[in-house]
Amino acid sequence: MSFLTPLFFVALAGLAIPVLIHLIQREKKQVVRFPSLMFVQRIPYRSVRRRRIHNWLLLMVRMAALALIVAAFARPFLERDEVTAAAGEGAREVVVLLDRSYSLGYADRWERARAAAYDAINGLGGGDRGSVVLFDSGAEIALRSAAAGERQPLTAAVAAAGGPTAAATRYAPALKVAGSILAESPLPRREVILISDFQRAGWRGEEGAQLPAGTTVTPVPITTGGEVANAAVTGVSFARSTFSSQERVAVTAVVVNRGTRPLAGGQLALEIGGRAIQTERLEVDANSSTSITFAPVTLTAEPMRGTVRAGADALAADNVFHFVLTPAQPVRVLVLDRAGGGGNALYLMRALAIGEAPRFEAIVRPPAAVSDDDLRRVSAVLVNDVEVPAALGRRLQKFVEGGGGLFVVLGPRATWSAEVDVLPASLQAPVDRTRGDAARVGALEYTHPVFEPFRSPRSGDFAAARIYGYRAVTPTQDAQVLARFDGGAPALLERRIGTGRVLLWTSTLDLAWSDFPLKPVYLPFVHRAMRHLAAYSEPAPWLTVGQVLEASFGSGRAQPASGVVLTPSGRRVGVGVDEEGAEVLELAEQGFYELRNRAGDAVTAVVASNVDTAESDLTPMDPKEIVAAATRDDGGRAAASAAPPTPEAQERSQRLWWYLLCVGILLLAADTLISNRLSEA
Amino acid sequence: MSLMASHNPSAIPGARFMDPVVLARIGNLSLVARAVVDGFINGLHKAPYFGASVDFAEHRGYVPGDDVRRVDWRLWARTDRYYVKEYEAESNMNFSVLLDVSKSMDYGSIGITKLDYARMLTACLTNLVHHQRDRVGFVAFDSEVVEHVPPSAKHMETVLHVLDRLKAGRPGSLRAPLHKLAEHFGRRGVLVVISDFYEDPETVVDAVTPLRFRGNDLIVFHVLDPAELNFGFSNASAFEDLESGEQMPVVPEAMRKEYQSLVRAHIDALQQRFSEVRVDYTLLDTSQPLDHALFRFLTSREKRMRLR
Repeated sequence: MSFLTPLFFVALAGLAIPVLIHLIQREKKQVVRFPSLMFVQRIPYRSVRRRRIHNWLLLMVRMAALALIVAAFARPFLERDEVTAAAGEGAREVVVLLDRSYSLGYADRWERARAAAYDAINGLGGGDRGSVVLFDSGAEIALRSAAAGERQPLTAAVAAAGGPTAAATRYAPALKVAGSILAESPLPRREVILISDFQRAGWRGEEGAQLPAGTTVTPVPITTGGEVANAAVTGVSFARSTFSSQERVAVTAVVVNRGTRPLAGGQLALEIGGRAIQTERLEVDANSSTSITFAPVTLTAEPMRGTVRAGADALAADNVFHFVLTPAQPVRVLVLDRAGGGGNALYLMRALAIGEAPRFEAIVRPPAAVSDDDLRRVSAVLVNDVEVPAALGRRLQKFVEGGGGLFVVLGPRATWSAEVDVLPASLQAPVDRTRGDAARVGALEYTHPVFEPFRSPRSGDFAAARIYGYRAVTPTQDAQVLARFDGGAPALLERRIGTGRVLLWTSTLDLAWSDFPLKPVYLPFVHRAMRHLAAYSEPAPWLTVGQVLEASFGSGRAQPASGVVLTPSGRRVGVGVDEEGAEVLELAEQGFYELRNRAGDAVTAVVASNVDTAESDLTPMDPKEIVAAATRDDGGRAAASAAPPTPEAQERSQRLWWYLLCVGILLLAADTLISNRLSEA
Repeated sequence: MSLMASHNPSAIPGARFMDPVVLARIGNLSLVARAVVDGFINGLHKAPYFGASVDFAEHRGYVPGDDVRRVDWRLWARTDRYYVKEYEAESNMNFSVLLDVSKSMDYGSIGITKLDYARMLTACLTNLVHHQRDRVGFVAFDSEVVEHVPPSAKHMETVLHVLDRLKAGRPGSLRAPLHKLAEHFGRRGVLVVISDFYEDPETVVDAVTPLRFRGNDLIVFHVLDPAELNFGFSNASAFEDLESGEQMPVVPEAMRKEYQSLVRAHIDALQQRFSEVRVDYTLLDTSQPLDHALFRFLTSREKRMRLR
């Protein structure tokens, strides 16, 4: 409430007048002269003193009347928010947001957080309704809008929360869930009690978490005073090498000390397959990090489970880092070239031999010598300007339909049977650009995975290559032109057939029709094209809690999805199906997930799951930041307040003085009546 | 009409107990005293015997310093020894009234102040004694002696005159003036002390009893207004002490019973202590008629004389 003319409150000093009248004036008026007060003074004083105020009712009525009249002259008016708040008195809809991210595992924070939740539930009134929402990186409604009269379900929901999960803190999803609960509530008052350790890492700005207007957010910070000691293994990197034809990996772990004291005398252990095989001394200064490299480990054919462990502190979850070591998987490519010494795949072979990640294993076969076994072993086939008979064409079509990749390089000799519908375009006569300007490659489809690395400026100039000849082609309907020559003719086309892909390069990839192999973009172009066709993806050595695990993870191309996942805690769970039909599982625990086949007797893949290391930074933020962002007025309301109110509305909000004055005058009338009665008596 | 009634005692028997308020309106103390005392004497069946006696009491051995004229020569002639004759009382005794004129006496809730009442009482007593041919004296005091008329058979008019112009003005105290007066009254007589005794009973008795040391008969009149006895006020008010000027808020109805019991205890204590030291004590209420007070006083004196 505010006042238009608060200076009038000076007149409140007038309240002293009735008091003076009662205390001073009355006594002075009636002085009784008496011979001696000798006996009166002997009577205990209390009986006299408590009757100093002659008539309390009269005094109160007079003072109230004066105060009301003064307040009326001060012209009180209600601000818009107060009007809303005043109208919102009544039962509350309370949402208790309980943070259960793994940082709550620090010291006794989880117990304190739960105690705070119980306190919040016990603070609910009889008509209130309460909800319990547990949140980490996501939010889960443990109990929705239960009547507070029966607190047992609410406390049971908190008790059933178990302990901190392995996930990180994100406030936005929790606030959105709370907002949806509150938006559906018919109760007039809405409140969110946010119990958390308020990590800075959990809040990334506004994030669209907006609570309904008029919602009160009460933050309950669960923080630890004094020094925070926490070391975390934030990641590992691998250096692969080959030693006497065996692949070896040197693991380097990064350890961050987020505490305010140096970490000395600690130990960092590398475990492979659950056994510690190496231990290094760990010393990290306060608020700094160090990296420690272990001796190389020889890889086996099977995936190896690795763990780096850095001692123990108050927050144990981030001291462990899991990963899976797998031997590097080469991309096998079958190159179809002319038999004998007439082949022109020299540049291609050299380019494929250079690859490290991934490594390419290229085998060269004349078209006539291609066996089914060859096609089974490879994931991509490169047809380098050769005549493809109809039989081979059909086999290649089948190969592509089964998920393989086919890279067709045209040239003067390339012919395809019309019976085989595998190419993205129909082939026509060669175009000679040896006279005049050579053709240049332009108009690239940079969004395509093949050209995506060349997207940024100075990342490769395809226009530098001079193309002296190419085959004119007519793209099929389902083909996509990824690159064109400067004359508009297609240079690279793609077509999807079944689960595989076909790329068609309309010129040669040797020096016969162009100087493209001599240009810097040649090598990455060939590598990108082959990786794309082979559907190669680097297997991630670990995932983070909260990420989605696809059932086909680590099983390679075209592997059937496994049916059962064994979680780190030993539970067997089925794999869910997302909107697109893919079978997915959200990682919720720290450790190794095993993917098994439908029978459950064979491990098809192992996935390491780690906690989000951003959560190990326990730096707290000011809860007011979240409160301010979540309870900010929405645009419509802001616009409404920006518009000046109409004179009638303004007068309505200021009409309070009128009522105050009426009540004051009524009280004065009552005062007159009472005084008359008293004087008559 | 009251005055007429006092001259005609056969008219209405109760009328001789005249209303002090009416008497106060007369204004002339001499007339008041005469009216009251005449009416009183006429109405009394037995004449008062007010201390004056010439009866022989005993013989006592002469000691040097005794008046030679008081030696019984006849007895000397018979026994050859000197004896002095002792009498029961002096034939003409001294009678003095000691009147408290402190400020607290200047209070009256029924049209007559305690001082006026005491003044009329003094005039009546003086008039009565003067009729007996005794010597009358008068002393007015508050915290010290204000007026002093030595006892004399001729001082009746002087006493009345002094009484007439008395005014209460200062706070009073009994001890200092009375102790001083006790030394002054060397000759045996009758002393009457009239006061409202607003002091502790012990202090009062301590102040008054020295007056008896020279063999004086001591009579004490305690004069109080009905309001002082009953505390019949109704409105809560600030009460101001007449002597000290101190004020305090008082709710009479809340403290009436306690006040009454305190006053009663005070009177009882005075009565008790005075009887212990053989002093006649009489409480006088200013609403009561004057001769009623005189009657009570004289009858009690008579009883005591008989006892002797």
